[in-house]
Amino acid sequence: MIEAQQLVKQFKGVDAVKGISFNADAGEVTGLLGPNGAGKSTTMRMLYGLLAPNAGRVLIDGINMVTDTRLARTRLGVMTDNHGLYSRLTAREHIHYFGRLHGMTNDQVEVRADELIRLLGMMNIADRRTHGFSQGEKTKVCMAQCLIHNPANVILDEPTNGLDVMTTRIVRDVVRELKTLDITVLFSSHMMHEVARLCDKIVIVSMGEVVAQGTTEEIKAIAAVDDLEDAFVKLVEQVIPK
Amino acid sequence: MMAFKVVFAKEFRDGLRDRRAVLSALIFPLLAPFLVYFLISTMIDLRSQDKEIEVAVQGADNAPHLIAWLVEKGLTFSPSEGDARALVSSQQQELVIIIPENYGSRLAAARTSYVEIVSDSSRTDARAAVSRVRSLIGGYNSEVAALRLITRGVSPQVMSVVKVVDTEVASKQEIATALLSFIPIYIVLAAFISGMGIAVDSTAGERERRTFESLLINPVSRLQIVLGKWIAATVFSVVGMSMTLVLCMWVMSYVPLEELGLRFQVSPLQVVGMLLATLPLAFLATSMQMLVGIFAKSFKDAQSYIGVLVLLPMLPGLYTTFNPIGTETWMYAVPMLGQHLLLTDVMGGEDVPLIGYFLSPISVLLLCLVFSWLTAKLFERESIIFT
Repeated sequence: MIEAQQLVKQFKGVDAVKGISFNADAGEVTGLLGPNGAGKSTTMRMLYGLLAPNAGRVLIDGINMVTDTRLARTRLGVMTDNHGLYSRLTAREHIHYFGRLHGMTNDQVEVRADELIRLLGMMNIADRRTHGFSQGEKTKVCMAQCLIHNPANVILDEPTNGLDVMTTRIVRDVVRELKTLDITVLFSSHMMHEVARLCDKIVIVSMGEVVAQGTTEEIKAIAAVDDLEDAFVKLVEQVIPK
Repeated sequence: MMAFKVVFAKEFRDGLRDRRAVLSALIFPLLAPFLVYFLISTMIDLRSQDKEIEVAVQGADNAPHLIAWLVEKGLTFSPSEGDARALVSSQQQELVIIIPENYGSRLAAARTSYVEIVSDSSRTDARAAVSRVRSLIGGYNSEVAALRLITRGVSPQVMSVVKVVDTEVASKQEIATALLSFIPIYIVLAAFISGMGIAVDSTAGERERRTFESLLINPVSRLQIVLGKWIAATVFSVVGMSMTLVLCMWVMSYVPLEELGLRFQVSPLQVVGMLLATLPLAFLATSMQMLVGIFAKSFKDAQSYIGVLVLLPMLPGLYTTFNPIGTETWMYAVPMLGQHLLLTDVMGGEDVPLIGYFLSPISVLLLCLVFSWLTAKLFERESIIFT
């Protein structure tokens, strides 16, 4: 379970996040939705502990991310939005490195890496150096390195950004699979249909605040419109000063 | 220390696969010794007194006695014609001697005769020949002058008021070491160049590739990450530096220093001593480069900062070359100066106080730890993680 409690973050006096609170529960997929510049990435970065909030708390399975960072991180798998890879390592070596950093033994990593390589359909690229990988191949490697240590909580920052249909499907399948394993999945996106399809719960942020949260039906009810996209636009624009 | 080992293993493997890093780690150590050999051999060649010199001469018939005397001293002559200045400035001749027609008549009248040497002093290779010819003619001058005085019943000593007698206190090994003072500078340079590729790649490169964020999300202390990267880079630096040192020493055993009347011999024990003396520099070089590297957003960016850094370790070497100073104990504790002093002393075969071996690595390692700690602090800074 991932809990954001009254998170506040300022950059040089500008409020980027102004008191965001929500829960992502185990066995559920929670979507963080918002336009560019709404504070999505800042919120995500506070959740995985690379930005320190000016106020508020982040709890990962009840462990405080700010005061107990390393313990909290062991329970968390993260896929950042930049998909950077070490170009001279093979995909498998990549996955290994991150597993070992999580304190797994060589044998544990090998077994788990094979599992993930199969799950993500990356048998053909596993032993190639990552230099020149396509966006889809990069995403798979990042996804595998995020899941290598069997985390109970997973944060995916715009995982389907720039992917073709095939890879998007694989990512979606993996997310569903994680859900059946009773894992907490939080992912951010600005693609409406994807969020509607995958998420049990949607948190919409705009101007650094949560403007609505709930199931797709509840969101539509709050905005009093029938279409989710219309609801999103309406809710987001409410808080943007004219 | 588990995570430290994991980071080290990854960076080391990554570094070995990095052609840019490996090349920069190897090229200098492989080239420097040959440069040393070439420079010193050329220097010896130029200074060598026994070299046969062929001299172009115009009007040799005007002074047959002088020419015969010079031939006896080892010069060979070739007759030359035409514009002597043009011959020299077009580099067809190193120098041309012109003996005027009135040489013989002035000689007979016991008046001063003139011999013209046409040369180009901007040509380094001709300098040795010119000064050899000049000193030989000077010798001929004194010999004939002495004979003239004797025939007039005067002792030639009348002409010699003061004579300088040289007494050398430096040992031949020490003179050779002074002559070879650029070797320590090369070794220091090697330490800075060999580890640079990987030190920069694991800091600035990590930011450039956008892998930094993923790395820091792991439940591992920043200091362990920095230490792993640092030691991996240092291994490269140590290898490059040791190669330079050992190859330089090996090459030096083939340089004919004895032609200058100098002796240069290092025992294997001395080589080990030199390695120990310079080892801390490898650690210092990479920790400095990582600290600078983490400020840079890309590899290229970092290289321009680090270019300036390379000059820093050369300062003590350059300073002591131009301002020789007496070594005092506290100097061993000054990072870089201490290593330079140890290195030159061991190479020159001088006794180094034992405390020097302790002071110099301790002060450097303390400095390294400060740098690494600062780097680890910067790893936490938001403006560096997210660029």
